[in-house]
Amino acid sequence: MNMLVVGCSHHVVDAAFRERVAFAPDQISDFLDSYYQRYPKTEAVLLSTCNRTELYVLSEKGEAAPSRHELVELLSARHDIPMEELDSALYAHRGEDAVSHLFNVSSSLDSMVVGESQIISQVKQAYETAVGARPKTPLIHRTFDAAIRVAKRVSTETKIHENRISVPSVAINVLAKQIFERFDNKNILVLGAGEMAEETLTYLKAAGAQKITVANRTPERAATLAGKFSGQTAPWEELIDQLKSADFVVSTTGAKEPIVDAAQFGPVMKARGYKMLFVLDLAIPRDFDEKIGKQFDNVYLYSLDDLQRECERNMNSRKSQWPKARSIVSAETESFFRDSRRRASGSTIAQLKQQANAIKDDELKRLLNRLDSVSDKDREQIEKAFHRVVNKLLHPPLESIREESATEDASTEPVGLLDAMRRLFKLD
Amino acid sequence: MNWLAKISITCFAASYLVVLVVELLRVWMHRSTVRSTIKVGFAIAGFFAHTVFLAYQTNLTFDQSGLWLGSWFGWSLAGAWLLAAAYLWLVWQKFNSNVGLFILPIVLGLIGWGTWIGNETQFTAVREKSIWGMVHGISLLVGTVVVALGFVFGVMYLIHARRLKSKSVSSGQFRLPSLEWLHVNTERSLIVSACCLGLGLLSGIALNLTGTSDGIKIPWVNPVIWSSAALFGWLLFSCVGSKLYQPSRSGRKVAMLVLFSFLFLVIELGIAWIFGHGTGVSP
Repeated sequence: MNMLVVGCSHHVVDAAFRERVAFAPDQISDFLDSYYQRYPKTEAVLLSTCNRTELYVLSEKGEAAPSRHELVELLSARHDIPMEELDSALYAHRGEDAVSHLFNVSSSLDSMVVGESQIISQVKQAYETAVGARPKTPLIHRTFDAAIRVAKRVSTETKIHENRISVPSVAINVLAKQIFERFDNKNILVLGAGEMAEETLTYLKAAGAQKITVANRTPERAATLAGKFSGQTAPWEELIDQLKSADFVVSTTGAKEPIVDAAQFGPVMKARGYKMLFVLDLAIPRDFDEKIGKQFDNVYLYSLDDLQRECERNMNSRKSQWPKARSIVSAETESFFRDSRRRASGSTIAQLKQQANAIKDDELKRLLNRLDSVSDKDREQIEKAFHRVVNKLLHPPLESIREESATEDASTEPVGLLDAMRRLFKLD
Repeated sequence: MNWLAKISITCFAASYLVVLVVELLRVWMHRSTVRSTIKVGFAIAGFFAHTVFLAYQTNLTFDQSGLWLGSWFGWSLAGAWLLAAAYLWLVWQKFNSNVGLFILPIVLGLIGWGTWIGNETQFTAVREKSIWGMVHGISLLVGTVVVALGFVFGVMYLIHARRLKSKSVSSGQFRLPSLEWLHVNTERSLIVSACCLGLGLLSGIALNLTGTSDGIKIPWVNPVIWSSAALFGWLLFSCVGSKLYQPSRSGRKVAMLVLFSFLFLVIELGIAWIFGHGTGVSP
């Protein structure tokens, strides 16, 4: 089996370039159809996420597979990107490297956020689309089933998925859950309506938050964000009043000065009966004066820096799992090639035996026709003798093929002997 | 069944000790399913042995003149049993929290205290079997256990609040229930303990007023009575104060109130022990 992957990821190109080479989900089947028109004897999978676009090409015979240049040409024509520009940006992996790369990708070791769980569903989606584009895809099944199995092993045998590492997920799933028991009865006030506010609200909503109020200097943006999360809006001028009734504040504005200082906060705490308040200040520069957290006993004020430290701790914890994850990928890659070689040699052995038995049967028939009278007992002895001759002749070469296919050599088939055998006996 | 008689204090005390060691290991080592299984297994085994021990001993002494559960020994072991039950409930509710680090030392302390005091002093059966006597004993036992639980929640609250304030909270090994949960349960324990100890005080007064055939009367100036009244007064003040006076609703202040309540309780128990309260002897 031959495998070639051509593509680009966040490791080698920036987001703007990735956007240019990305495929929308509804474009993938169309692309695969045009690919199969040119290379019908191969199988292909196109994986396109926000961080990578990769085309995996698999074939039984090397001569049927397109070259790197041909694939780049295909992508260049598709995206209308100059050939030279695309050629210098795309990487290519072949054989063992390609399989190992796929296993690393599926188990999220190659992801921007190592250990993220989204990539495996994206790989599965790409696999399903590829299978849907063509009825018979044995190589894709074999390779991508293995990739999914490797991802599961890495997930269950290491702790690479443990401990969250994005700021909003740490803020909600690690920190806020240590403060609040439940979120459905909490008044959540979101200041600002940017990406950070939206991402934080996604985690809050998943945690059960229901009473969401968004306040922003631009009311339209506040309304859009509140609408997405079934929340309500509050005028920016009512900020202090909103603080009096909030349990949890997420602040993400782009203000250049703090929007709430310690002097303003004293009356707020008095008005709220000194009830506990969690303030998540994710703005740079800070929206809340840091004195507030120190001055008021029941206020827990966390800034981006405080959370970043936790994220780094978690990232280091994940990194400590890398060697174990890598060794799983390495062992699975080896096992994949061993299986492939066994499969390839098995097919050749079967063909060889079939051919030898056909010759034996022909010659036996011819001999028995020439002999006038042969007793049943003699006939049986002759058949056995022919059978032994064939077996004894085939035994040494077949043993050699089996031995070669069991070595740790990193190729999908025992190239030397198998190729020689096919050529010597003219097998297909 | 003979094997029931073979269950000793060492059986369940050792089980609780193993659970405490496993809880301690969880602070320093990665979480493991094996350790969690050992923890839950030993906790259930210890609690089962504890239950059998209490039931067997109570049954043995039920028809005798002195009731085993009425002694300091039995009382301490019954208190430890209630706390162990609370621990199992908390493990069920908050599996990943290290609550055992706080409850199990009190459980083991009570078992140790009961064993050290021994089984010499006993309530009389007549006194124990009267309605007021039973209400008095049970409400004081439950009240004491709830104050101890409140103390555990209060300590956990203060530690957790301090960690959150110093920004040293992480998704690491040492885990406590959420601050909100600890606050709510600290407040609840304050109210429940005030009710139980109030009932214990009132039933004690009723017991003293009605008198029994054994003729025991405790003078009204006895330190046990006024220290009990002081403890009840303190709990009542804490409950009302935490509800009415807003700044005191701050979780830290409620936690401090239950810590002081526990201190009061220890003093109260010390006084009761020194003055031989409940020994069946008129002071």
